Amino acid sequence: MAGASRWADDEADKAEDARRKKEKEEKKRQKLAKQQAEQEATARAQQESSDRPAKRRKLSASPEVENAKPAERKLLRFEAGGWGPCRHVNNFETLNQIEEGSYGWVSRARESSTGEIVALKKVKMDYKEDGFPITALREISMLQKARHAHIVDLREVVMGDSFDEVVLVMEFLEHDLKTLQDNMADPFGESEVKLLLRQLTSAVSFLHTNHILHRDLKTSNILLNNRGVLKIADFGMARFIPPPHAPLTQLVVTLWYRAPELLLGATEYDTSVDIWSLGCIFGELLHGNPILPGANEVEQLSTIFRVCGLPSEKSWPGFWRLPNAKSLKVPRDRETRISPLREALGLHSRTTNTGAGLLEELLALNPESRPDADQVLRHAYFKESPKPIAPEMFPTFPSKAGLEKRRKRSPHAPRRGDAPALAGKDIDFSNIFAGREDEQKGAGFRLRVG
Amino acid sequence: MQLSPLANPLATVAQLETSGSQLDGIPADLEDSIRFASARLTQAAGALLRLPQEVIAQAIIVLSRFWVGPEGGSLAEHDADQVSASSLYLATKLSAFPKSARSVVNVYAYLDSLPTTFFEPELLRQHKKAEEYYVSEGTLEKRRMALFNMEQQILRVLGFQLQTSLPYILSITYLQALDVFSHPRASELAKRTVAYLNTALLSPQLLYLTHQPPCLATAAIYLAAKEIGVKLPDVEWWEVFDTDREDLGFVVVGLLSVETFAAEEQKKWLGRRVPLTVGGLEAELGMRRNLSEE
Ligand SMILES: Nc1ncnc2c1ncn2[C@@H]1O[C@H](COP(=O)(O)OP(=O)(O)O)[C@@H](O)[C@H]1O
Ligand SMILES: [Mg+2]
Repeated sequence: MAGASRWADDEADKAEDARRKKEKEEKKRQKLAKQQAEQEATARAQQESSDRPAKRRKLSASPEVENAKPAERKLLRFEAGGWGPCRHVNNFETLNQIEEGSYGWVSRARESSTGEIVALKKVKMDYKEDGFPITALREISMLQKARHAHIVDLREVVMGDSFDEVVLVMEFLEHDLKTLQDNMADPFGESEVKLLLRQLTSAVSFLHTNHILHRDLKTSNILLNNRGVLKIADFGMARFIPPPHAPLTQLVVTLWYRAPELLLGATEYDTSVDIWSLGCIFGELLHGNPILPGANEVEQLSTIFRVCGLPSEKSWPGFWRLPNAKSLKVPRDRETRISPLREALGLHSRTTNTGAGLLEELLALNPESRPDADQVLRHAYFKESPKPIAPEMFPTFPSKAGLEKRRKRSPHAPRRGDAPALAGKDIDFSNIFAGREDEQKGAGFRLRVG
Repeated sequence: MQLSPLANPLATVAQLETSGSQLDGIPADLEDSIRFASARLTQAAGALLRLPQEVIAQAIIVLSRFWVGPEGGSLAEHDADQVSASSLYLATKLSAFPKSARSVVNVYAYLDSLPTTFFEPELLRQHKKAEEYYVSEGTLEKRRMALFNMEQQILRVLGFQLQTSLPYILSITYLQALDVFSHPRASELAKRTVAYLNTALLSPQLLYLTHQPPCLATAAIYLAAKEIGVKLPDVEWWEVFDTDREDLGFVVVGLLSVETFAAEEQKKWLGRRVPLTVGGLEAELGMRRNLSEE
């Protein structure tokens, strides 16, 4: 198949693109204004509530008090700490290695003076071409900015004898969700999943309102302590939402959690890529295993299409304009899905209709159809029974990280130099449902070959 | 109290009292001159690299942090122009406008070729291609290494605290809240406000290390409105922006004094260059000693 768009003429496309972009920018602007107002309000509220027990403020001089002084106006004070030179890493004793990751090494350690247990993440000084690795610099600065109950706390950055030894000191959490699930006999129950998903989504919402894209959400980057508190970690891929039109790298998000628009080569994308990953994680928590484990980019895309259906002009109008869509042979203009997503994933018994509905919304092929994190938090799923379990009731598990070294099997986040594999190839999805002939017939369904 | 992403880390009293340079016996006036000149150098280099003001501002705040406090960097040890270059390089790395080490080296080499510190701003406008200013391959390699080296020193001294929160957008929000945009001279007012915020970056009192963005924005608006003759509410409107009269007064006085300070500096260094290297500094100190012995 050749030709960019058999679909519509370029002019109309451009106009539509421009309109959509304008709309998006306006939305971003409004969001920023709203968010600033909210942050101030929150800070104000915090200040007020922290004042309350100490002294009750009077808003106006009360008439019954003689010589009442005019109420003292309490002004907001924002604080962000200070700075001082990096301490030496030998303030900490390493206890055990936790994980060898894509660009750092993580270990459990004890601060000698306080006895406190922390996690140390060593920065790998790869590609010194540009001086201090920009990924590590971003990770540190994102973690400094992103202070939140469900984001891992970066305490400080320490150095070794040479400048080349840079180590992040973080709070230690007993588990990551990947390792934990690998070692559990049964997947989490639904009220546990709900608690985890709500905590995770609240952190994603915080990141997105602060204009941060995480870009590598997956179970191995999500930590859990023994008090049922979840925290997002690994900001090695994170970055601020860039100004409009600045092209972003497509090489983000570990394959199994990568949104279809990224696989199709979109260079402009937004918070909805994190929402897709959120959907993958939600499904994985229900299921106990990754739900979309493709072996390579092509297979990933076909796995997605098999589970979520094929893109159609109606459900995803922008699809054909994506760079790699041109090389795909996909039957078009049909609602094409063999079975509902819940069945396709084998989740019948693991969640309610509402839960399946939420999963389906998160895994919408069209990025514009995915809900934002705040909408997810308001979803009926969290209100219906079973309710999210209370964190203190969350079961505890033996901590692998606290005891022994281990290795993982899931694919790594993409590295520099990996090329997007779809580009320039012709890929035929006409037979995407082949081998499922029976189901197709059973569903009275025929694929139209494009 | 919870840390706020809207706030800047501020210098402690101890950090403001002593600096590494003072501990090494560098006279305070010379330290002020060098800090001022290197902030201006950073501003000029940023302009030549066509960086947004936010990125340049972050670089100047970073270098200001580097030089304060007994544990801060000392001018007797580090070249001020190198600290400027590496701060700017770090700030671009964190921004959406990364620049290659080569571009940064070239631009600083170009600025270094200018005969005086207080050059005519025209010179910058003429030199559109400073990013391609020629340096030999050998020099480039050496300067790249120096750039990276100082980058790590800065990161160490700051404990990686590069976070900055700037008052630019905030000041526009405040102007909106004050409902002055219907005024015929509103755009002039906004421009002057931003100009004062830029001035604050050069302040020898290091206003960005002592006051939070709301206070800086308020003071800039206060002065700009006075200057242009836009009337602001009669009440203590700055309190709405979480600034009390005392802080406002301090920053206003600080801002006003920058102009006088700048004029004096220009006179003092007329036709000369403020020493921005350890070598240059030693020469300057030697000259001062000779003068006082005569
Ligand atoms: N603060 C922490 N506490 C406990 N374990 C952690 C912590 N941070 C990371 N880990 C463990 O180390 C692994 C790798 O860390 P991560 O930050 O994801 O680095 P990488 O960039 O190498 O993937 C995680 O999957 C998790 O198992
Ligand atoms: Mg990771």
